[in-house]
Order: sequence, then structure tokens, then C-alpha cells
Amino acid sequence: MLQMNTLTITTTINRRNYTLCINPNQTLLDILREELGLSGTKRGCEIGECGACTVLMNGRAVNACLVLAPQIEGQEILTVEGLAVGEQLHSLQEAFLEHEAVHCGFCTPGMLLSAKELLDENPNPPETDIRFAISGNLCRCTGYVQIVEAIQAASANKPERKP
Amino acid sequence: MKPFNYMRATNLHEAIGLLAHHTPNVCLLAGGTDLLIEWRRPSACTPENVIDISALTEMKGIESGNGRIVLKPLTTHAQILKSQAIIESAPLLSVAATVIGSPQIRNRGTVGGNIMNAAACADTVPPLIALNAEVVLQSESERRTLPLHELFLKPYETVARPDEILCEIRFEKLPVKARSSFIKLGRRNALSISRLSVAAVVARDEAGVITNARIVPGATFPRWRRVVEAEKLLVGEKASAELFRAAGDTVSELMIAETGHRWSTEYKEPVIAVLVQRALEQCCR
Repeated sequence: MLQMNTLTITTTINRRNYTLCINPNQTLLDILREELGLSGTKRGCEIGECGACTVLMNGRAVNACLVLAPQIEGQEILTVEGLAVGEQLHSLQEAFLEHEAVHCGFCTPGMLLSAKELLDENPNPPETDIRFAISGNLCRCTGYVQIVEAIQAASANKPERKP
Repeated sequence: MKPFNYMRATNLHEAIGLLAHHTPNVCLLAGGTDLLIEWRRPSACTPENVIDISALTEMKGIESGNGRIVLKPLTTHAQILKSQAIIESAPLLSVAATVIGSPQIRNRGTVGGNIMNAAACADTVPPLIALNAEVVLQSESERRTLPLHELFLKPYETVARPDEILCEIRFEKLPVKARSSFIKLGRRNALSISRLSVAAVVARDEAGVITNARIVPGATFPRWRRVVEAEKLLVGEKASAELFRAAGDTVSELMIAETGHRWSTEYKEPVIAVLVQRALEQCCR
């Protein structure tokens, strides 16, 4: 059996600096959930298809299951736990609550972060861009209509709230 | 995932040295969107040594000048699809980058990884072959340049030796008058794997006569190539539905000649012909 080297890496997760001792065959998802207890990021398909493990790496949405743990050295990671600041929810989280865009909730953390990348780049996206931005996130409850509405509501271009 | 010895290269020179030292039980890791899935399979054959090249800044970016584009292999699909230089001078590559995987995959997956993984369904490969792209492979002992279509032996196998690293992809910008297209046929919109695809380039003179045609189907032949047999039909002719249908039929016949009859042939035979026809029509709108 091959003797594996353990590695010490430094990284930033949810605006906090970490020095972590990791095994190189772990993924970012393993580190978040098993080592740091940040279980908001969900373990879904583990083949990069469902988007449940989506986090932001330097502001870009990535599948945490497809990032090898050593690759987060020096990078900035944002998970769903880092969206709210103190007790203040992110405008996307508020909008998801308001528009009942959470059904079982398993896809929600990933949906929020994919939506955040979009709104950070374009605060006023048309609906087609919203659908394109969340095309890597599956909602098995099929609650896409409410999710798209919530993202629209959180964008600068707020549609009229339905009565 | 089985254990392996992990090394992070900090520059290209170091990566080449590590490759030479550990060859042949070694694998390069870039975006990881293919490899991590592969390594997690229960039957996976994981490499003993992994060299992570994802931090090599000199291997990232798109250079445009002197009528050509140099694509560094660690450029992500997201960077390609947003690049104004690619949109202007190689729009078919931009289209291909847009339909790969998902936003998350495009943010991590690299064009170099897409090429070197050598899957028959790799979406950036047909456009790059249609652009007559060349690739540069480097090892400690030599640096060699070859046409991209000569890189591939068969699906998942290239002529690159284990001590060689892909360090550049380059191609001439399309002439201003040339039009190009890329059509992907998948089972759904996002996160789909190409069942078939077609990259096409057509240039016409003032009289509307086709002066140059390039057709490269994806997931169609055991080895990627320009279908010169079909291209020849087009050059010197004017665009027409019959002409494009003939080109499509030629591609379809050659596909069967080279791959034989498979369970999917009944579907693919008419469909590849239509896709070729549509790709050519898109170039002549």
C-alpha cells in the first residue's frame, strides 16, 4: 500500500483563515462537511451533475465534489454558511423564503450560491440568464418557478410581487 | 478515492521535471472535472503520483495577435466563452465552450484537460480541429508541435508520452469572410454529453462560390478528423440544400464505413447527415 503524504494548507473559508492538515485524496466537499462540520453544503451525486455541493471559489460557482482538497490552497471559499452576515440574511436567502423557493431544501444551498455568482456579475439579469445560471443545479422537487422568481426578486430588477 | 502521492507544481519547468522523474506512473491534474469522477469509481485505476498543475499561471490565458490565437491549456471553458477575441475570430469555439457541462463545470474544466482526456465527446475538439489548431507538447528532452488531429489515436488515447505536457494550443484566426458553426446533440440542455456534434467553417467569394469548407463531426469517428471527402463536394459550388444534403450523406456513409453497424447506427445514420446539413446552412445564412 502506498504511503500517502499528508499536507498542510492555508485557505479562507467564509472570510475566516484556516490552516488545515489534509489527505490529498480528500475533496473540498470532504473538508467542508467532515472536517469543519459545515454541512450546509450537500453531498449529492458526487459526479458533478446535481449541483447540491456548489460553493463559490474566488467568486465562481464550483462543484465541491470535483475540487481536490489541496487545490484550495490560497483560495477563497464561500459556502451557504457564509452568506448571512451575523443575523442578517443575504438578500437571496430572504427572497427564497419570501417566494417559498425552498421545498425539501437539499438543492437550496447550491442554488443560492449559483445565483450569487450570477447577481455578483450582473445585478439585473434577464430570466434566460437566471435559468442558464442555475442549469447546473437540480431540484428534485421541481420547484424551479419559485426559485427563478426568488432570484428575480433578489436582483436589482425586482418584478412586482404577485398579490 | 484511493491514496496517491500528491505534488503541486509551482511553474512549468518544475512540472516537466516532476513528470520526467515519475514517468510513467504519473498523472497531471488540472480542473479535475473528469479525473476526480474517474478516480472515485470503485474499479478506478488511480495513478501512483499526481502532479497538480492547476496553479501554473503561465499556463492560463488567451493571447490574440498577428492573426493568431494562442490558448494556454489551463484556460477554463468559462474564460473561453467570455473571451471577445474568441467570439470575434473563432465563434464556433465560443459556442462549444458554452454548451459544455454546467456553469460549475465550465468554471473548473480546462480546454487542455478536455483535449488530453481525449473523450470522443469532448466538445472543444471538433471546433479546434476545424480551426486547424496545432498543439505543443513539451518534455525535458524535446518540444514538438503537431496538428491537433494527429494527437489522437483512439478515444481516451493520445500520442503524447507520459513525460509530455500540453503547453500550448494555437490556431489562425478565421478570415473575416468565413462563417462558422457548432451544433451539439445531447439528451438534454445542461450537463449533457454529446451524442453527436458537428463543427463547420465555410468561406465564400463575392459571387457566393464556396472557396473553403471544413467539416469536423464529434463522437462520430473513432479518430477525429476533417471530413475532406465531404468538404471536396462543396468547394467551387454555390450553397444549396441539395449540396449540403450530399455532404451530410457523405459524412454519414463514412461514419458507418469506419465504425460499422452498432446499436445506435439506425438513429445516428440519418441524424449526423442532418446535423452536417444544418451546420453548413448556419454558416451560409
